[in-house]
Amino acid sequence: MKYDETEIKVRFNEVDSWSMVWHGHYIAWFEVGRQTLLRKFRLLPGDFTQMGYTAPVVDLKCVFKEPARFDDEILVRTTILKPTKAALIFRFQILRKSDGKLLASGEETQVLLTLDGRMLYILPQDLRERLQPLFDYLDEPDSAA
Amino acid sequence: MSDELVLELKKLIIGTLRLEDVFPEDIEDDGPLFGDGLGLDSIDALELVVALEKVYGVVIPDSEVGEKVFRSVNTLARFVKEQSTAK
Repeated sequence: MKYDETEIKVRFNEVDSWSMVWHGHYIAWFEVGRQTLLRKFRLLPGDFTQMGYTAPVVDLKCVFKEPARFDDEILVRTTILKPTKAALIFRFQILRKSDGKLLASGEETQVLLTLDGRMLYILPQDLRERLQPLFDYLDEPDSAA
Repeated sequence: MSDELVLELKKLIIGTLRLEDVFPEDIEDDGPLFGDGLGLDSIDALELVVALEKVYGVVIPDSEVGEKVFRSVNTLARFVKEQSTAK
């Protein structure tokens, strides 16, 4: 499964008193990666709502390996695992573009609720069909490889 | 409720969720599985639903049904038995 990529540049307001990116911003960068990927397939939060679902985050992990610093160019890499249960599991990698160094990695799990708050235990067919082009895209060989 | 099915379900819960240091005798037949009881969460429910469908062919579609079925091992066993005989 390949990763989708998007680039960001570390802003001055994202670094802490030690000139390193404050740890919470990596989570915001995960969100940038996730929205960039989902936008390509019209699967943004509003699209979920139109289908009758919300998808709240129930689990989030981040492992910090190296610090990012002001003005670094950052690659945010995002993929989604093929579901084995009624949850969407995203994986992320944060890399420094100049040397390809892995700075952080993470995983986020979203479950599915109906608009009246019922949690779905089975992935609904309409959502499976909407997700399929996304999985097909991530199954394609990575052009950067 | 058949003791055999209850024991089987306890083993399935422990195995599916890879519960460390939990043995079938630690799980009360009528004790709550979520929250204050065994402490399972919503992701655990999703894992259990997949395992229950695979092993017993029973379907728990959502939390509305799940809240009743996963109340305890006994309610789960009753559901599995009813659904299996209904087929």
